Amino acid sequence: MSASDQIDLPKGMAGGASTRRILFNHLAILVCWVGLWEIGSRAGVIDPLFFPRPSDILVGFWRLYITQGNIWFHLGLTMAEVVAGFVAGSALGIGLAFVVGLSDTVRRFLKPYVVVIEATPRIAIGPIVIAAFGFGWTSKIVIVMLVCFFAPFVNTLNGIINVDRDQLDMFRSMRATRVQTFRKLILPEATPEIMAGLRLAMASALGGALVAEFIASNNGVGKLISTYTGNLNMASAFVCVLTLSAVGFFILRGMEWIDRWLVFWTDRKRTEAVGRKRAQRWQKGGKL
Amino acid sequence: MTSKAFFVELGKHLAVFAALILLWEGASILGFIDTILVPQPSEIWKGIVDLYFTRGIIYWHFGITLYEAAAGFAIGAGLGILLATGSALNDNFARYVAPYATLLNVTPGLALTPIVIAWFGFGYGSKIALGAITCFFPVFVNTLIGLTRMDPDTSEMFRAMGASRRQLFWKLQLPAALPMIFAGFKISVTTALVGAIVAEFSQGTAGIGVLMQRFAFQLNGGAAIASLLSMSLLGLILFFIIEIIDDRIVFWRRDARMTAVSRQKRAAWARMRT
Repeated sequence: MSASDQIDLPKGMAGGASTRRILFNHLAILVCWVGLWEIGSRAGVIDPLFFPRPSDILVGFWRLYITQGNIWFHLGLTMAEVVAGFVAGSALGIGLAFVVGLSDTVRRFLKPYVVVIEATPRIAIGPIVIAAFGFGWTSKIVIVMLVCFFAPFVNTLNGIINVDRDQLDMFRSMRATRVQTFRKLILPEATPEIMAGLRLAMASALGGALVAEFIASNNGVGKLISTYTGNLNMASAFVCVLTLSAVGFFILRGMEWIDRWLVFWTDRKRTEAVGRKRAQRWQKGGKL
Repeated sequence: MTSKAFFVELGKHLAVFAALILLWEGASILGFIDTILVPQPSEIWKGIVDLYFTRGIIYWHFGITLYEAAAGFAIGAGLGILLATGSALNDNFARYVAPYATLLNVTPGLALTPIVIAWFGFGYGSKIALGAITCFFPVFVNTLIGLTRMDPDTSEMFRAMGASRRQLFWKLQLPAALPMIFAGFKISVTTALVGAIVAEFSQGTAGIGVLMQRFAFQLNGGAAIASLLSMSLLGLILFFIIEIIDDRIVFWRRDARMTAVSRQKRAAWARMRT
C-alpha cells in the first residue's frame, strides 16, 4: 500500500492566475466575510462566547505575541518535539526499510503486519505511550516518532520493491556490484517515493504532537489551546490555531521545496539546470 | 496459487508469528522487556478475552466509535464531493473556494479538537464533527483532480458528437474521476476514525478511545493493547467496506467484474427487447 498527499490544486486554481483584479476580489470577499461576522456578533446573532469576533482575535494576536509573548515558548517547545520526533522516526523508518527491503523473505513475512499497522490509527497509541513515558516531553517525542515512522517505512519499502526489473537485469549484466546497484539504481528510484512518505509523515507529525499535548501535558501549543478553550477564551484559542495554520503552511512549502531540490529529475526545468551545472563542472575537469 | 501452496505459505506465516510471540513472551518473563511499557502477549490475550467474552464490554464502545467515524466520514466526504464538483464545474467557484480549502488543509485538523468540543458538546456531535473535519480534504482534492483531469481526446469526441454539458459530466467526467474519488475515500475513512478517537481521548464517555485511555491510565497494558487492536479491526472494517463499494461501483477496473456486469447488462437489454 502506498500513499501520497497530493495537495497541489490543479493549475490556475491555487491562485496561479493572480492578476490584480482577482486578488482584489479575494480580498473583498474576505473583508465581507469578516465584516459580516463582526456585525453579526455585535448584533447578537452569533454568540461571541463560542465564535470569537475578528476584532477580538486581532487583539488576541497582539496579546499573545507581543504584550504577554507567551506563545513563543509554547510554540518553540511544540516545534522542538515535532522536529526531534520527525527526524528520529523517519530516520528509523527509512533505515529499517532499507535493511528489511533488500531481503525478499523478510519482506514477505512482514507484509501482513504492515497491513494491520496501516489500518491502525497511529495516534491512538498516545495514552499508552504517555502512561509509559510520563507527562513530560519524552512521551511527546516518542508519539511523534511513532506517528512519523510508518509512512516513510512503507513508502521506502514500496520504492525498493518497485525498482524496474529490466534495469536491474541490465545492472547485473554489466556486472555492477551490490553497492553500485544500490547507489546508482535503487536509491535514486526509491527517492521520490521516500520523499512522498516524508511529506506525509511531516504532515501528521504536528497533529501527533498536538494530540499528545491534549491528552496530558503542561506546556506546548496544544496545551495552550485546550487551556484557553477550557476558559472559554476562544479568541486566544483561535490565535493559536491560526498560528498552527501558518506553521503548517510553511512546513508544507518547505517539504515541497526540499522535494524539488532533491528529486530534481522529475521536473524538466530542474533537470536541465542541474545537467548544465554538472556539465560545466565536468568541463572544468572536476569530478562529477 | 494452488490451495496446497497457499496452506504451506499460511503455515509458514503462522509459524513465524508463533515464534515471534513466544520470543516476546519469553523475553518478558526473563525481564528483558519492561512489562509496564510493553505488556506481554499473554496479558494482551487476557485483555482480549476479558473485553470480548468475559465481560463483553467492547461491543457497545466499538459500535459507538464505528457510528461516529462513519457519520463523520459521510458528512466530510459529502461536503468534499459537493464543493469539489462545484469547483470542477465552475472556475469562479473554484477560485474562491480554493484558498479556504488550502487553509483548512494546512491547519492540522486535530488542533481544533478542544474548540470543536466546546462547540458541539461532550456527546457524539463533537466526535462526528472532528471526523468530518479531518476527512474533508483528501476527498475534496481527489475529487477535484479526478474531475478536472479529463482525457482530451475523449472529451473532444464527446463534443464532436454534440454531447450536452450534463452528458459530458455524467458519462465522461464522473466515471473517469471515480477511481480517484475512491482513493480519496480510502485515505479519509482512516482519518475520520482518527478524528473520532482523538475527540474521544479529549472528552467523552463512551467509545473505544475512552476505553483505551481508561485502561492505559490504570496501567492495565493488556486491555489497552486489546482496545488498540480493536481500533485496527475497526480501521480494517471501514477500509474493506469502502473497498467493496469501490469494487461494485468502479466495476470496469477489474476484468472479472467487468465481464459479469456486461453479461448482466446484456441480459437486461435482451429482456427489454422481447
